[in-house]
Amino acid sequence: MEITLQHYLILSTILFAIGLIGVMRRKNLLLLFFATEILLNAVNIAFAAISSYYGDLTGQMFAFFIIAIAASEVAVGLGLLVLWYKRTGKIDLDAMTSMRG
Amino acid sequence: MEFYLYTALFAPIVGSLFAALFGMSKKNIIAGIVPTALLFVSFLASLKLLIYILGGGEPIEVELMTWMATGDLYVPYGFVVDQVSVTMMMVVTTVSTVVHIYSIGYMDHDKGFNRFFSYLSAFVFSMMVLVMSDNFLGLFIGWEGVGVCSWLLIGFWYHKESATWAANEAFIMNRIADLAMLIGIFLVYWNTGSIQYNEAFAAMPALDSSVLTAMGVFLFIGAMGKSAQFPLHTWLADAMEGPTPVSALIHAATMVTAGVYLVVRANPLYDLIPDIGVMIASLGAFVAMFAATMALVNRDMKRIIAYSTLSQLGYMFVAAGLGAYWVALFHLMAHAFFKALLFLGAGNVMHAMHNELDPFKMGNLKTSMKWTWILMTLASVALAGIYPLAGFFSKDLILEVAFIEQHYILYTVLLLTAGLTAFYSFRLVALIFHGDDRHTANGVHPHEAYNFMLWGMLPLAILAVIAGMVFKTPYYEMVTQVLPAIEYHIHSATTYWIMTIGTQLFVIAAIVFAYKKYAKAVKVDKKVESGFLYQLLYNQYFIPQFYEEYFTKMYRQLSDMMWKIDQKVVDASVDGVANIFYNTGKKTHTMQNGNLSTMLRWMVIGTVVLLALAAAFTLGQSETVVELLSGLGVI
Amino acid sequence: MLDHILSILIFFPALAAVLGFIVHKDSMRAYGIIVATVEFILSLWLWYSFDSSISGMQFMEQANLIPAFGISYLLGVDGISLFIIIMASFFTMLGIATLTETRRIKDLIITLLFLQMTMIGVFAALDAILFYVFWELSLVPMLLIIGIWGGPRRIYASVKFFLYTFAGSLVMLVGMLFMAFYYYQATGQWSFSLLEWYRLILPENIQYWLFVAFFFGFAIKVPMFPFHTWLPYAHGQAPTIGSVILAAVLLKMGTYAFIRFSLPLFPDASVFFMYPIAVLAIIMIIYTAMVAYAQKDIKQVVAYSSVSHMGVIILGTFALNVEGITGSVFLMIAHGIVSGALFLLVGVVYDRRHTKLMSDFGGLAHVMPKYATIFGIMMMASVGLPLTINFVGEFLSLLGFYKQSHMMTLLAGTAIIVGAIYMLAAYKKVFFGEVTKEENKNLKDVNKTELLGLIPLTIIAIWLGIYPKPVLEPINNSVESVVQLMHDKAISPEAKSVIPSIAKFETQEAH
Repeated sequence: MEITLQHYLILSTILFAIGLIGVMRRKNLLLLFFATEILLNAVNIAFAAISSYYGDLTGQMFAFFIIAIAASEVAVGLGLLVLWYKRTGKIDLDAMTSMRG
Repeated sequence: MEFYLYTALFAPIVGSLFAALFGMSKKNIIAGIVPTALLFVSFLASLKLLIYILGGGEPIEVELMTWMATGDLYVPYGFVVDQVSVTMMMVVTTVSTVVHIYSIGYMDHDKGFNRFFSYLSAFVFSMMVLVMSDNFLGLFIGWEGVGVCSWLLIGFWYHKESATWAANEAFIMNRIADLAMLIGIFLVYWNTGSIQYNEAFAAMPALDSSVLTAMGVFLFIGAMGKSAQFPLHTWLADAMEGPTPVSALIHAATMVTAGVYLVVRANPLYDLIPDIGVMIASLGAFVAMFAATMALVNRDMKRIIAYSTLSQLGYMFVAAGLGAYWVALFHLMAHAFFKALLFLGAGNVMHAMHNELDPFKMGNLKTSMKWTWILMTLASVALAGIYPLAGFFSKDLILEVAFIEQHYILYTVLLLTAGLTAFYSFRLVALIFHGDDRHTANGVHPHEAYNFMLWGMLPLAILAVIAGMVFKTPYYEMVTQVLPAIEYHIHSATTYWIMTIGTQLFVIAAIVFAYKKYAKAVKVDKKVESGFLYQLLYNQYFIPQFYEEYFTKMYRQLSDMMWKIDQKVVDASVDGVANIFYNTGKKTHTMQNGNLSTMLRWMVIGTVVLLALAAAFTLGQSETVVELLSGLGVI
Repeated sequence: MLDHILSILIFFPALAAVLGFIVHKDSMRAYGIIVATVEFILSLWLWYSFDSSISGMQFMEQANLIPAFGISYLLGVDGISLFIIIMASFFTMLGIATLTETRRIKDLIITLLFLQMTMIGVFAALDAILFYVFWELSLVPMLLIIGIWGGPRRIYASVKFFLYTFAGSLVMLVGMLFMAFYYYQATGQWSFSLLEWYRLILPENIQYWLFVAFFFGFAIKVPMFPFHTWLPYAHGQAPTIGSVILAAVLLKMGTYAFIRFSLPLFPDASVFFMYPIAVLAIIMIIYTAMVAYAQKDIKQVVAYSSVSHMGVIILGTFALNVEGITGSVFLMIAHGIVSGALFLLVGVVYDRRHTKLMSDFGGLAHVMPKYATIFGIMMMASVGLPLTINFVGEFLSLLGFYKQSHMMTLLAGTAIIVGAIYMLAAYKKVFFGEVTKEENKNLKDVNKTELLGLIPLTIIAIWLGIYPKPVLEPINNSVESVVQLMHDKAISPEAKSVIPSIAKFETQEAH
């Protein structure tokens, strides 16, 4: 069976759905980061696949951008997470409500 | 001649400002003498102008400077001295000079002495502006100016609640009429293109009669306010709260006659609308009778004289309304002299009686106040219209006018009123000066006024005697150069004599009746006094109560209601709108519970909704979307 | 220097305000007085150099700000704005000179100078965006004045003032943007210059919509019934200086903008909305006068009387003829002088007794005769006595509107009756009768500082009532050109017949 664009897109959609559910359900900050990464990578797959389908490199370039930005974002995010853990001893999302309106 | 014009006009205001310099300091006799002297100067200048006009001089017209000029409107400070205005100037300056002299004595012990003269001279200035202006707006300046001075002077003793109340009543009631006057001026301007008397009157004959009627009616309503005609009459009696010289000058001789002056001045207009003239005359006759009846039973000396003024103003309006403008003006002049005299006499009595106003608590003052008695009797005789005093010539003439113009109902009313006038005037004289002594019991020991006050009143007394006899012919020849010259002669000599002698006898009978009833010991007839008619008259036809109940109180309540509406409806709805936003925020702020995963959920929901919307709106509309989707194999 | 006098007038107080931060607290008052006096002299110089025979804009300045959208720094004055500018600088000077406030005086004076910049900016701006910027900026200092130096409910009052007027202005901003957009569509160029906008004839339906959009901004500022309720709160809570400037100058922004924007830009819509607006104006006049009569607080009486008089100004503006509009512009000046003076006068007793309730006074004429005299003169000016400043404006406004409707003028004319009722009643309560309260027996009469503020106002109120020509003439010339512009621009024959053509200009065209 040949792997077509449709397959890539379906994979991307499944991954995105997994990521989305993870974002919504997870209470652990670390796992939230994982879910975010899945989301971003789902999009990356779609970008790369469509890019190659149309023979236009822009999409792949964009995927690289996303990888780079995601990496830096995770770096900053993990840094904050470590700091938060050191201060409070837990990384439970429900406990972080200082932004309550 | 311009010099005399400006002198006559501005001398009073200089006096007023001079007295105002002393306004807040202690009583200073200078503050009384200088304005009086300046008024005398004004009187001399007016006299000079009168002689000039009498000598056949052309009317003097001057323009001081521009007041307002915008668009097509041009209003200058323009003044004119013609036959009519010079008559008014003479009346105003004569009476006010006398009243000023008198006031120096009358206000002697008052701590507001300086202030009083400042106000009084300011009033004279306003009155001069009123009569000398050559346009409607200039007249309006004076019109409002006398209103303010009247407000200041009625409320002169501002610690008294009744005085300030009366002052406000007078001002507000006059304002109602002034609105009509303003509307009249607007009508004149937009229809004739000018508010100068001569230009406006010249343009009037070409106008539609409905427009002219409106003008005439509105201007007359303005006149009704100043001249206290029914139904705007209640302020005049209440205005008697002011010092007596004020009542003499403002509320008898000058200001209240401004309405008559206006109608006389606007004679070219009222000649074009005779129907309105008849209406004015009818109202005048009604007021003459109406006011006289109230004077019959009143127990307040000054109010009796005030009602008498009101009644005489009614006479003047009858004459003016029937087109006999010169007669109206003649009666205005004669009335000014004897009515001012009457009031000043009343002032003497008040002083002697320690501000007692009820003539039933006086009696037999002729022994202690001989001169006042003579002067007041003289004024009352003149008022009653006995030959050969001033009232005979002017008032009987009005009766003749009504008769000749074949308004027999008006004639009858006026004739009856003449009887009533004689009765209440001499009821007052009899109660005050004759009969038994009813005041010593109250510990009052009357004394005659200062000599110079009595001397000051003398010119008025002389004028009250001779004004009719001596002035009638030269006056007629003078004013009829500008006013319609209609001589009122009853054709049949027999009718004339029957009428004249009949009127005289009727009036004398009324006087005798008054003396008989009141010049002896006063018996109070309980039965009459509790009767409906007596109560009706005594309570002034219940009109003041009616106004109080249905206008003053209603306005008060309505205002309170409006305030409630303002807070509870208008403002509350604004706050309501604001509260909608505020409450929405308050209710939805729980969404922001600070929990990251809740927020993320909201974000997802939002994204999905937006995507769905975007899809719903664009799907099928945009060809590129269709193409893209089909390229992806979705469609 | 004369070429840039308007810029100087606008930015000199702002610069001085910034420099004010380094001035010492004790010398701040003197500093403020000097700056405001210089500013006032500059504004007098503007009047002196103003050529009153020219009807158009003078002292124009132009600099591009955002050329891509045609937004520029465009200033100019004509007879309509000249006197309001002078009045703004005059009242700032008087206000600072007679200041009795002692709390945070430095901040207060800086705020006032900043406020002065925005006020003069509004009346000198001829670019819509520039106008809008100053218009909105003027809210900030006033918000601070009420919110910091105000009475007990100052926060509520200031927030209400701010949000209410701000909400209206946003609608106006949308109108301005649409106007510019329409201009772009019609001419292919972006421009926010009012003078350019004047040349554009809009279709009637667009005029209606834009008129309504502008109306919200202006009407709330005026404030017109039923948008007036922020005003009594603002006045009630504001310190004396705040009330004075609010009543004298800030309210005039709304009526001025009607003449500057609504009338010449949308002549047909002005005719179309003439009667509805006149009805609102009449309600304003009578209704607020009645509300004023019901007040127990003397300051609220003056505040509501302010609204009532603004009704006459609106009515004069929408007379759409020279007499009416000239009258309304003159009445803006007159109302500024008189209501400013009345608020100052209320401040005098408030400083002494810290109450504004009329029932706490009574018989003040005995103890404070000078005060009673000045109050009396100003009260008479307020009720429109001839030979005082208000009469000229009121008379001309009503005279102008009489051309449009007899009945409505008759109703609006009741202003002179109802005005007399509440004013005389208030005066009677405060000044007449015996002194009943012990605290009032030893009240001091007006002192020198207070006289410094009150006497010039009294003189102006009488002088301009007797001889209004120096002010009336420039106003008249500018108004004539506005009316002619409206007449020329009007599309419908009905509007053409309502708005008169000026004979003077017609003969010029013929030559």
